[in-house]
Amino acid sequence: MTAALFTAVLALAAVPVQEPEARAWTIQAERVYTGTGRNMERSIVLVRGGQVSAVTANADEEKERTQDVLRVYAVTAGLVDAGVRVTNWTSVEQSNEVTPNLRVADTLDPFALDWDRLLRSGVTTVLASPLDRNVIGGLGVVLKTAGPETIAARTVKADAVLRGSMGSDPSAGNHPAFGRPTDFYSRRPTTRMGVEWEWRKAFFDTALNHNENDPGRATLVAALQGKLPIFIQAWTTQDIRTAVFLREEVQTRPEFAAAGMNKPRFVIDAAAEAWKEPQLLARSQTGVILPPFPPAGRTRENAFMAWNTAKVLKDQGVAVALSSHGSGDLEQRLSVQAGYAMAGGLTFEEALAAVTSIPAMLLGVQDRVGTIEVGKDADLVLWSGEPFQPGARVVGTIVDGVLRYEGWTAVQGATVER
Amino acid sequence: MTTTMTRATGAVTLTTACLCLATAAEAGEGRIAIHVGRIVTMAGPDIEDGTIVIENGRIQSVAKGAKGSWDAEVIERPDLVAFPGWVEAHSSRGMDRANENIEVAPFLDVRDSIDPINFYFEDCLRQGVLAINVQQGNMAAIGGQGRVVKPYGLTIEDMTIRPSSGLKLVATRPGRSRALQVQSLRRAFNELRIHLEKLVQDKKDGKDTARREALFQGRDPDKEENKKGRAMEGTATWKVKDLEGVPRGQVDEKQEPLLRLVEGKMMAFVACDGAISVVQALDIARENGFLANTVLVLEGDAWKAADRIAEAGVPVVLGPTLLYVERDPITGKEVETFVPGVFREKKVRFALQSINASAQSLWFQAASCVGYGIPREEALAAATKVPAEILRLGDRLGSLEAGKDGNVLLLSGDPLAVTTTVQYVVLDGNLVYDRSKDVRVQQIIEGVEQPNAAPASTGDEELDPHSGEKKPKSGPGGKKD
Repeated sequence: MTAALFTAVLALAAVPVQEPEARAWTIQAERVYTGTGRNMERSIVLVRGGQVSAVTANADEEKERTQDVLRVYAVTAGLVDAGVRVTNWTSVEQSNEVTPNLRVADTLDPFALDWDRLLRSGVTTVLASPLDRNVIGGLGVVLKTAGPETIAARTVKADAVLRGSMGSDPSAGNHPAFGRPTDFYSRRPTTRMGVEWEWRKAFFDTALNHNENDPGRATLVAALQGKLPIFIQAWTTQDIRTAVFLREEVQTRPEFAAAGMNKPRFVIDAAAEAWKEPQLLARSQTGVILPPFPPAGRTRENAFMAWNTAKVLKDQGVAVALSSHGSGDLEQRLSVQAGYAMAGGLTFEEALAAVTSIPAMLLGVQDRVGTIEVGKDADLVLWSGEPFQPGARVVGTIVDGVLRYEGWTAVQGATVER
Repeated sequence: MTTTMTRATGAVTLTTACLCLATAAEAGEGRIAIHVGRIVTMAGPDIEDGTIVIENGRIQSVAKGAKGSWDAEVIERPDLVAFPGWVEAHSSRGMDRANENIEVAPFLDVRDSIDPINFYFEDCLRQGVLAINVQQGNMAAIGGQGRVVKPYGLTIEDMTIRPSSGLKLVATRPGRSRALQVQSLRRAFNELRIHLEKLVQDKKDGKDTARREALFQGRDPDKEENKKGRAMEGTATWKVKDLEGVPRGQVDEKQEPLLRLVEGKMMAFVACDGAISVVQALDIARENGFLANTVLVLEGDAWKAADRIAEAGVPVVLGPTLLYVERDPITGKEVETFVPGVFREKKVRFALQSINASAQSLWFQAASCVGYGIPREEALAAATKVPAEILRLGDRLGSLEAGKDGNVLLLSGDPLAVTTTVQYVVLDGNLVYDRSKDVRVQQIIEGVEQPNAAPASTGDEELDPHSGEKKPKSGPGGKKD
């Protein structure tokens, strides 16, 4: 791998606790992977006012240069992870299995270490969702992994998706009534069919019963009208089919058409076994987020994920995004997931899209993040070598024009210049 | 049970396929010439367009250009890269069980536990790990003797590169206090000393106990080589006087491997999961004379004792987690340390360990090292040459040079690239692996289920009595209905 040379010319702020401001940066890179089909060599990305102000191939062009210069091997757009698991049990409202009106943003901690971990692995935008303990958990939020220390200030898109789950997660741990009377602590559903029934019940109730007192109704109406994408966790073929058939039922039943609620948009999260049903997913125009690649084939719920999953789906025209589920571990972080997808047949550009522009599109924030383009947010990852190779590391992460992670000095025992 | 049967059948199917390949290679009268686009020799600069000639299982020459020979079988693959096999310096996998429930058991040998058809070895071959030092797990104080094996062969003898590669010592046993564990280790050496002193005393007293015990253990103490006595050797801080008067054949076989360790005739692989354990392990090694034969197998924050390790001059095998993360107690922020970088700075020889036998094998660890600033040559060496030297097999493994074992990986590209795959493996001059014939690759990469092939399963499946189809086991961990 080509040696990367870093020079960070920084005027240090006098007061260290101050919120760092968005600087004007000149980023010189051997490779600029814009994600727009334009890969440039020895080029410059200029950042002003928190946005990308120019991307130029002419590295000798001096006039526009800013005082702060970063020289790196490669630069890509900040990575987008639509499948992070940053929430814990406090994000589960257990009083009901269907809680579409709840906002996960209200439980997120801006001081949690998860954000730093994501930032260090080059992830700048994430979808935070409620934990999949309820059938329909609530509203997810798209936010940056760094910024001012409030969730509101980091939010890119509030109430971005409606999140729920198929499969065993919503029923796992619930008491079945066998051998004991149903009591206060019994919680339903207790089976896969119970989970699916809850989904259908919620949808049919919304279309048929105009119960304006239901706090979740407005959310479900928006979701069924296609104004709010529905992200469903489904690992196995069985659960993926259930989700797609549920959508087709909504599309074809006259009750939904009559209510104008027959156009839901689905994205299936953690779709490990999606490779078994590529045509079904392509036909239903369902987006897919893949879970981390399992080393030995099996993932959760005993689902088998083949290494060419992303390739098979992409070839069928399915929009595929990758996810690390929020891990910052060297072998699981989002950048190596893109590498694994390349090992399974994706080209570099396709793998780049699967961790930047495609998840941004699935989340509806593609006008702000996902590619390096003039006018977009200056969310950039600086790399020591070819991105997604385990032999390259993230040496810097810029969010909204602010250098939030300086990897060339941050890690003990690591060196950059050599 | 059904699962076990299916697995075994699958493994045998593949092994049989490989055997056919091997037979084909042997038809070349033990001479094979491999012409490739690039040879990463790990012994000097890479060779563009070169040929490796292997004769009778050993590398005869590594040279530039196409060097065909009238009597050699030729592998002509200018599109591939030749690389010496990866070397795993320490692993507790591939055994029937990794641990025996005996605290001090230097008399055990992983020979009796290694399972040649264990999937682990199949995975190692697929990833190009061609030498594995199999050592007992960490649930003991003094474990049995390890063994360096190839990931190929139907019997343990076929697989063996070196028997008795060293004793496993554990300075920190999971779930046990460090104090108790260190006491166990010290007591083991104390008991050895007491045993030897008793032998000397019995000899002086004219007692016949040790001889009769040897007969009871099924050994022949009256054989010529067993009748000799020898003064205690080595550099231990303690000595048993007059040991030369005791025939060596009378030393209890349960203690004998430990005596070999103390006399400097056996290596020790000492597992330490923290800096404190490193200090304790080094002390015990010094006291008992095996510091020069010690390799530390490190986990956790053991890297914080890097100065002590450098001072002791022992090499280390680094656990799978290379990026150590801890929380700063004052700021509450996470602080990252790249462990191999620390040892490189302290000039300690280090070998890497795989995260798993599949996608995150040794290549991945070496690549991570490059990412964090370790020069490529050193990173590659940490998973080839250095582990070979640590295992004292530097004359046989770790690089492509004349005189070394005829082991060559043929890779589809750069050894550290994520898209590179092992296309062929030549082991001792025999072609033993061909990726295009590997049914499991098709399963893992493409999800193709082969008839009669073992499922890539976690093992928690059983057959549905009604449909005959596989269904997951009910209960924790399994899929629910």
